Amino acid sequence: MYKNSNSFIALMSGSKIFLQQVLALLAKDLKTEWRTREIFTSMFVFAVLVVVVFNFAIGADTELIRQVASGVIWIALSFASVLGLQRTGQMESEEDSLQGVLLALHDRSALFIAKMLAQMLYLLVLVIGILPLCGIWFRIDFIAHIGEICVAFMLGILGLSIVGTLFGMIALHTRACEVMLPMLFLPVSIPLTIAAVQATAQLIDGKSLRDIADYLVLIGIFDVVFFVLVLMVFDYIVEE
Amino acid sequence: MQKWWVILLFVMAFPLIYLCMNRIFHATIMCITMNAAIMLIFIYAPTEKMQGIVQKIFYFHVSSAITMFVAFFVVCVASIMYLWKNSDWWDAIALSAAEIGVVFCTLVLITGPLWARPIWGTWWSWDPTLTLTLVLWLIYVAYLMLRIETYDTRRARFAAILGIIGFIDVPLIRWSVEKWRTLHPKPVLIQEGGTTGLTSAMLLTFLVCLVAFLLLFFYLLRERVSVAQSRHTLEVLRHEIDEICVG
Repeated sequence: MYKNSNSFIALMSGSKIFLQQVLALLAKDLKTEWRTREIFTSMFVFAVLVVVVFNFAIGADTELIRQVASGVIWIALSFASVLGLQRTGQMESEEDSLQGVLLALHDRSALFIAKMLAQMLYLLVLVIGILPLCGIWFRIDFIAHIGEICVAFMLGILGLSIVGTLFGMIALHTRACEVMLPMLFLPVSIPLTIAAVQATAQLIDGKSLRDIADYLVLIGIFDVVFFVLVLMVFDYIVEE
Repeated sequence: MQKWWVILLFVMAFPLIYLCMNRIFHATIMCITMNAAIMLIFIYAPTEKMQGIVQKIFYFHVSSAITMFVAFFVVCVASIMYLWKNSDWWDAIALSAAEIGVVFCTLVLITGPLWARPIWGTWWSWDPTLTLTLVLWLIYVAYLMLRIETYDTRRARFAAILGIIGFIDVPLIRWSVEKWRTLHPKPVLIQEGGTTGLTSAMLLTFLVCLVAFLLLFFYLLRERVSVAQSRHTLEVLRHEIDEICVG
C-alpha cells in the first residue's frame, strides 16, 4: 500500500506539484465544459424535468408539495449527477484521453480530486439554478433560511460528488456503463440522501442548524469516511 | 452483555472449522446439526404464548440474518486481503461469500414479511432493520452485477473495492434509517442488563439453529470456492491449449 500512503502525505502536506496538477486538471475540465456546455446543460435540463414530472405525481395539494419538496430536489440532484458522470465518462474515454492524463500525472489521486471538484461545481451551479425554480413552483421561501440551506447543500453535494466520481471511474470500465453507474451509486449513497432530504425538509420548516445537527454530522461523517476510503483505493481503480 | 460476547466468540470460531476440518466431516456435522435444529424447533421448543406457531420462523429468520452479516463481513475481509496480497484465492472467497450472502439476505427478506403479516398486520414496513436489509441486498446484487459486467483484468479489483465500501456503508445506512423511523421489535436475544427475552429452551433451539446455518454457510463457501478455483484452472488450461494449437 505504499503508493497510497504517498498520496496521503502529498495531500496532507499540500505538496505544490500535487496542487498544481489538481488545478490544471480542474481548469482543463472546466475549460472544456465552458466551450461545449455539454455536461451541465444536460444535467440542468434533466433536473428540471425530474422536478416537473414529480410535480405531476404529487398533485395540487400545496401542503403535500411543501413536505416532499426537499425529497424531489435531492432526487433531481442525484439523478442529474448520474447523468453528468456518464457524460464525463464518455468524454474521457474518447480517444483514450484518460490514458494520456494518467501518464502525465505524478500522483493519480490528483485526478480523483480534480474530477470530484468539477462534479461538485456542476452540482453547485445546478442547485443555484434549480432552487429559485422550486421556490416559485412549490411556493417555498428559500431566501429566509438561505445560509442554513447552503450549509446542508454544500455537505450533501460534497458527498454526492465523492461517491459519484468513484463509481463514475469504475463504471467507465464496465460493459453496460449506463446501467452499472446508477446501480452502484444510488444504493451506496442512500444514507446521504436520507440525511440530506431530512435536513433540508426541516430547514424549510423553519428549524435552525442546531435542530438538524444530527443529520449534518451524519452527512459530514459520510463525506470524510468516503473521501479517505476513495483516496486509499483510487490507485487500484485506474491501474492497468 | 456476557451472552453477546459468547455468541460473538462462537461466530469467530467458525473460520477455524472451515480451515481445519475435512470436507466430509464438515458436511456430516452440518447435516446432524441441521436435523437437530429442525427437531428442536418443531418438537422441543415451546410455542410462544402471544404469537403462537408463527414465532417459530424467528429461528430461521434471525439465523439467516446473522449468517448474512457474517457473509458480508467475510466479503469485506477477503476484499481487503485481495487488494493487499493480490491472490486469486481471496478473490474466490469474496465472490463466493457475496453470492451466498445474497441468498441468505433473500431468505431474510422472505421470512420477515411472512412473520410480519400476521403479527404487524402488514407485509412490509419501512423500519430501519428491514430497510437496511433491503439496501444491503441492492448493494450486493450490484456487486454481483459488477463482476459480470467488468472486463477481466479489473473485475476482481473493482469488486474488492465495492466489497469494502458496501460493508463500511452498513453502519451509516443503519444510523440514517434509524433516525428516519423505527418499528422493528427490539432484539429479543439480548436485552437491557444482559437478560434475554427467550426462555432457555428457546435460546438453546436458537443457538443450535444458528450453528446449523453458520455451518451451512461455511460448507457452501468451501464448495463454491472450489468451483471457482476449478474454473480458474480450467481457463488456464484452455489458454495453454490455445497457445499450443496456434503455435
